[in-house]
Amino acid sequence: MTDAVPPTEVGPAKRRRPFPPKLRANPVLVKELRSRMRGGRAFLILTGYLTILAGFAGLVYILSVTALSSVSLGQADYSSVGIVIFGTVVLLELLMVCFISPALTAGSITTEREQRTFELVSTTLLTARALVMGKLGSALSYLFLLLFVAFPLQALAYVFGGVAAAEVLISAVLLVVTALATSALGLFFSSSQKRTLTSTVLSYAVLLLGMFALPIILAILLQFVPLLWFLGPTAGAPEPWKEAALIYIGVLAIATNPLATAFATETLLFDEQKVFFYTQSLGNGVDLPVPLPWIPYTIFYLVLTLILIRLSIRWVRRAEP
Amino acid sequence: MPIIELRGVTKRYGQLTAVDDLTLAIEEGEIFGFVGPNGAGKTTTLRMIATLLQPTKGEILVAGSSARTHPGLVRRAIGYMPDFPGVYDDTKVWEFLDFFAACHEIPEPHRTQLIDDLLELVELSHRREDMVETLSRGMKQRLSLARALVHDPQILVLDEPAAGLDPRARVEMRELLMELRRLGKTVFFSTHVLSDVAQIATRVGIIEAGRLVAVGTIQELSTTLAPQRVVRLGLLDGIEQAMGLLRAMQGVHKVDSSLDSTDGRGEITLEFTGDDNALSAMMASLVGQGIPIVHFSEVTRDLEQVFLRATKGIVS
Repeated sequence: MTDAVPPTEVGPAKRRRPFPPKLRANPVLVKELRSRMRGGRAFLILTGYLTILAGFAGLVYILSVTALSSVSLGQADYSSVGIVIFGTVVLLELLMVCFISPALTAGSITTEREQRTFELVSTTLLTARALVMGKLGSALSYLFLLLFVAFPLQALAYVFGGVAAAEVLISAVLLVVTALATSALGLFFSSSQKRTLTSTVLSYAVLLLGMFALPIILAILLQFVPLLWFLGPTAGAPEPWKEAALIYIGVLAIATNPLATAFATETLLFDEQKVFFYTQSLGNGVDLPVPLPWIPYTIFYLVLTLILIRLSIRWVRRAEP
Repeated sequence: MPIIELRGVTKRYGQLTAVDDLTLAIEEGEIFGFVGPNGAGKTTTLRMIATLLQPTKGEILVAGSSARTHPGLVRRAIGYMPDFPGVYDDTKVWEFLDFFAACHEIPEPHRTQLIDDLLELVELSHRREDMVETLSRGMKQRLSLARALVHDPQILVLDEPAAGLDPRARVEMRELLMELRRLGKTVFFSTHVLSDVAQIATRVGIIEAGRLVAVGTIQELSTTLAPQRVVRLGLLDGIEQAMGLLRAMQGVHKVDSSLDSTDGRGEITLEFTGDDNALSAMMASLVGQGIPIVHFSEVTRDLEQVFLRATKGIVS
């Protein structure tokens, strides 16, 4: 890849690059989008995805309305139906993003190697960065399309009310950040591995570990750590700093998992009516400001995404086809 | 100044030396055939020239730029075609070329005409809107060549361009390479099909076990590697006498004869070391001794014999 081209050379490295970079000028992105959106496959996936989402939303609606039909209906009851539909759609979107994005990116670079096109691209002026960003951009474009087409289903909840603008925005942030991180994960394995199969297996293994195994391990640890800590030499009333540390550790543990983050954020939004921080009283009466889990989640996964992209570029750059 | 120059290039993979101290210069406008058995180091050499591999030792200069320090300039000067036509099956023919034109930073408004011209050159204009996966192997090979030409490079580095092609496609590929030479391109291609080299190469390099064992025109290689000329004489009679005379002559080796039982005519095949003057003198001597010669011809050495002489059948 030409990233290593020294500055003395007459070439793209010397040209002034537009800011922000023009995505449409990335040839990989254009090619990938042309291929991805051609034929019926892309539309079949879209249709299947929307059918599942609509099916679940419809089921939730029927169950909620049936449950509420026995009691007198007021505005508050309808709004709870809206909240449940909204939550269901967002959670399903979150799950789908988690499982579709590695499929879109885990083969992006390995397929180039398997098709023997990687060496052709390597003899052009295309940089490793442009190749990686083009692949990522293509996967994200499709993922964002999936999220966008599901918007009318989310909007169904607005008919019933009860869903605040903050909830809609936070859910959008969670979905976008999750799409970025899971796509970058697949891309990382695709650039570091030689075979698509290996890359796909590793992507899903790490994803499942992060989504299910890690929260269980953290939950178990958090059950025992406080006991061990509090039952030490200073047994009795916990020291305030230990109590604060445990609260923050708990929030960070939640923030490692998208589903836990979504649940916890929604609960705190509902209970505390705060978007960014809420306060928790410690044993000594001091109010501790605690961020809602979506904030550390966003920061953690955006940093992780950047690291994975940089590593992917490095792998592609140093790879000999 | 050579347009491609390799100076003491070595490529090692661990203990294996794929290319060993290779020094070679290709002049502008040449069609240079790089010949060798499988595993000789041809592809590794081509990939190093195309900046896909870094030499362990030595230097490669392409159009005056170092492949190590200025790979971008080398990539602008070279159109590389690997031995396997790597293609994106899920693209249309024109999209495939458009993608690589964009990768070479050719402005979008220029690409349509460029793609049309390239498709016309490789005779694929009628398949412009077809999916690449529907093309035959020969068509994919021609499309791959069009891709290598998309940025109008000075040099074409082609790894086994005729591999896997049927006879007609091979001929078409050869004609295409000749046409490219007429258009001013320098062509450096590898092959293990000697007839391809014999028909189009202006010079040939023979590589074995990573080492360049011979380089030159086919005529030069024939003279150097197979100095004995094979001569056939047709005689009315007097075969035994002629054979006796020939065996006594300087520069004559290995004299064989055959006799036609129907009319008594015979043929002598001999190996001769010497130039045209010496050969003429040999003929004059035979005629002077009254040998009734009715036919004289020299058997042309083909590249296959030269190749067999140059190589020992070992691979690196």
